[in-house]
Amino acid sequence: MKVTLENLTKIFPNKNKSGSEVIAVNDFTYEIPSGKLIGLLGPSGCGKSTSLYMISGLQKPSSGKIYFGDNDVTELSPEHRKIGLVFQNYALYPHMTVMQNILFPLQNLKGEDKLTKDQMIERAYEVAKIVQIDEFMDRKPSELSGGQQQRVAIARALAKYPEVLLLDEPLSNLDARLRLQTREEIKRIQTQTGITTIFVTHDQEEAMSISDEIVVMKLGVIQQTGKPQEVYDNPANLFVAKFLGTPPINVFEGKVEGGKVIIGSDTVADAAGVADQEVWIGIRPEGFILDSKGTMNCEVQNVEVMGRDVSIVSKHEGSVNPTIRSIIDADFISKLKGTEAKFTIKKNKIFIFNKETEERIRIGE
Amino acid sequence: MKKKELEEKEVQIEETPVVEEIKEEMVQDEPDMIKEEKERSSRVAPVVMASEEEQNKDMAKIVSAQKVLKVVFKVLVYLFLCVMALAVLFPFYWMINSSLKTLAEYKRPVPTFFPAEGIQWGNYAEAFTAANLGTLFINTVFVGIVSTILSLVITVLSAFAFARLDFKGKNILFAALLATMMIPGELFTITNYTTVTNLGWLSTYVVLIVPFLVSVFYIYLLRQNFLQIPNELYLAAKVDGTSDIKYLWKVMIPLALPTLISITILKMMGAWNSYIWPRLVANDTAHSMITNGLRNAFTDTTGDVNYPVQMAAVALVSLPLFLVFIFLRKYIMKGVSRSGLKG
Amino acid sequence: MVDNKQQWKAWLYLAPALVLLLIFTVWPIINTVRMSLLENYSGLRAAAGETFKFGFNNFIQVVKYKQFVQCLINTILLTVLTVPISTLLALVISVCLNSIKFLSRFLQTIFFLPYVTNSIAIGMVFAAMFNIVGSFFGTQNEIITTAGIINNVIEFFGGHRINWINAGSTYAANIAVMTIYIVWNALPFKILILLGGLQSVNKQYYDAAKVDGTSRWRVFWRITVPLLSPMIIYVVITGFIGGFKEYSSIVGIFGETMGPADASGRLNTMVGFIYDALKTNKQGRASAAALILFGIILVVTLVQLRWSKKRVHY
Repeated sequence: MKVTLENLTKIFPNKNKSGSEVIAVNDFTYEIPSGKLIGLLGPSGCGKSTSLYMISGLQKPSSGKIYFGDNDVTELSPEHRKIGLVFQNYALYPHMTVMQNILFPLQNLKGEDKLTKDQMIERAYEVAKIVQIDEFMDRKPSELSGGQQQRVAIARALAKYPEVLLLDEPLSNLDARLRLQTREEIKRIQTQTGITTIFVTHDQEEAMSISDEIVVMKLGVIQQTGKPQEVYDNPANLFVAKFLGTPPINVFEGKVEGGKVIIGSDTVADAAGVADQEVWIGIRPEGFILDSKGTMNCEVQNVEVMGRDVSIVSKHEGSVNPTIRSIIDADFISKLKGTEAKFTIKKNKIFIFNKETEERIRIGE
Repeated sequence: MKKKELEEKEVQIEETPVVEEIKEEMVQDEPDMIKEEKERSSRVAPVVMASEEEQNKDMAKIVSAQKVLKVVFKVLVYLFLCVMALAVLFPFYWMINSSLKTLAEYKRPVPTFFPAEGIQWGNYAEAFTAANLGTLFINTVFVGIVSTILSLVITVLSAFAFARLDFKGKNILFAALLATMMIPGELFTITNYTTVTNLGWLSTYVVLIVPFLVSVFYIYLLRQNFLQIPNELYLAAKVDGTSDIKYLWKVMIPLALPTLISITILKMMGAWNSYIWPRLVANDTAHSMITNGLRNAFTDTTGDVNYPVQMAAVALVSLPLFLVFIFLRKYIMKGVSRSGLKG
Repeated sequence: MVDNKQQWKAWLYLAPALVLLLIFTVWPIINTVRMSLLENYSGLRAAAGETFKFGFNNFIQVVKYKQFVQCLINTILLTVLTVPISTLLALVISVCLNSIKFLSRFLQTIFFLPYVTNSIAIGMVFAAMFNIVGSFFGTQNEIITTAGIINNVIEFFGGHRINWINAGSTYAANIAVMTIYIVWNALPFKILILLGGLQSVNKQYYDAAKVDGTSRWRVFWRITVPLLSPMIIYVVITGFIGGFKEYSSIVGIFGETMGPADASGRLNTMVGFIYDALKTNKQGRASAAALILFGIILVVTLVQLRWSKKRVHY
């Protein structure tokens, strides 16, 4: 099921302390292709959960439209939207067993969708098998681990054969190891069922690793959408560049002068065709190459060995942060001599942004 | 094996028919609502087959049905709450209404909902003297204040000992105290009556105050509160050479103030509402408590009682409680929600 | 490791409480058991030097005593009537209060009002509302000046007036009045507890149910009630304990005659029975009755806790 959002806006009246209204989501327009896994990504308070709740129907948009396929569902209440929703804390009914939890939505079905008792049990086992919890059907949620609870929640959401599956911060209540495992699980379930799935997260790594497409949001406004790798390689503005990637991008204050990008006294890249101006400069950690002829001079603070790679922590006068971090293949570390590192910067790993608007300035266009 | 498992599952959802039955009962109650809902769902079902235009029309119908249902439900909820609220308020209204009528008006076969023969403030003055409310007020307030102060001192000291000091048998003693909370107070009264008689306390203020000074529940409540204050504060005070009493006064009591206020209010309300014990041990006019005085002054419900004056007396007795409630609502509700005891 | 200074300090602080508890709580417990086991024990006669035989006669006598059986029936009847009614009503009111925003706080305050009342004083108001004023009840020359507001309302809707509490009234009518009054009095505490419980229920359960299209009825019985069950059990248990100790609300309505003028004592309760025995210096009988009351409360509470443990665990 294709989901289309058209100028979706949500305004909360008088929610903050000063009593003025808060625009949680501002003019969100996006078409979510059928059968894909979409990650809504942004820091807390960016409106991603509000967007999800509007798609679910639990919150009504202040303006704008939502279409499922070609149907306008903006005013439709949640139960008629054929969606499954997984809550951040799972919202499993604590007094019911896993089986009863999964059966609960099925028992609500009416009219032509109504199932017999046998069909319900069959269905419950079917979805339980998909998420691999069919051996815990008699347990109460409190007797399950966090990861198992998460799967029960997904099973419950899948039981009605929804056309759209919505997940609110599905991994945030899990520990680091489970998180890795569960996110692969979500991807597998999504691929297996082919349901259009939208999930919300503040963890960029999570979103990048499993999404077919990501939507980066900030303060209710869409910053950029696209395939994870494309967004990472081609950030539209400084916020997106900073938000994606671990370790995060190194940001410098600098300028463009005579077609060159200059940080402090170092000329680090070409910027042909860009007018002279003050700019923000972002260089991805993997964009540094140790090179005795390099033009960027940094004062080495520390070298952290990470196995395959080595991370060099160094200082540069133009850096916004106290230190800059560069990731170098361990084989090349022998090139580092003394406390001064000379770097050449990879062309596709350096971005410049307008000082005022923080919009990306594209080089060579 | 699977089959057996499935059968077990079936047993588990046995509850469902019960729910269905209840639902059917509701169908009879509100047939329109349910019918609407059923129609709605049957409309949703064939969506896949229907043409786009029809779909949109269906959606619009569903949406409007939803809105109507929601409004109807909201109206019903408010209607129910308002009716219940009126039922709760009616006795108070009737008390005040009756207290301001002349006796003749009160006895009219067709009641008046507002004093028609002029508002009789005089009833209140009469009630005040007829029931000797002045003495009763003073007695009750005196007993209430003295017992509250003494009770607070005893409670604070005991709670402090249980919360902050170490001594042998602390936990056993505390558990034993909690166990006594289960026993109904009437069981104590029988012996206490003999005890206070032997002590020669009958018809004194002492007998109204002393036997109820210790409340295990208040000690428990305050101890829990004290336990939330980090022990490091106490140790720091010790290092600085602060005495226990000073520490209690300067640190513990200010931090536990909300609980202490709750206890004070409940204790005062207890004195105001006490009836059984005072009736037993201090039934003379000099030491009578307000509730006893009130009941005794208007004990005959069949004879020629001046009902408006009686209602005025009741209103006068109720008034202080309402004032306390209006100004200290928060503390009362907090105290009550943890106590489960009236007065 | 307990240092000695703390030891005596602790006992010093506890001393006032412990002394009072010993005299007015611990000794009564022991003494009540003692008196209940001394046949026909009377404080007055004991003071005169009389000794009493050890035995269970007090208990046997009490149970055989017609007055006691009546008190027991009254107490149980009132409890069994008022606890379910008030709990259900409080539950529905709480759910409604929790579902609205406008006027919610105002209505909460109103529903809490009966709590801060003197049960005897407001009992007198209820009595006035049900009271028929006149004379020669039940005779040819019956004169009724006012039938009481409740009867006025009944007559307004075309019904016949009922003799609720006056001479000649029926037992059923008396019990009905008591039930109404006790329920009115019991509502605020129950609403306070249940509403508090509702407000602490995670809203996401309701969102989840909404996404699944659960009907309001089903949400109430399958989600709200189970999640609220610890609070419901709590108000039911405290309600039962309070119900078994019912006394002053009856004094409020009927006065110390504990019944209509021509049938005094008809509505007496367990607690009333204990005080009557005490007033006539029959401490043995009073003790036995008090222990029976304690036993009933204990058993009912334990049974309810046991039952609730089976039903309420998550």
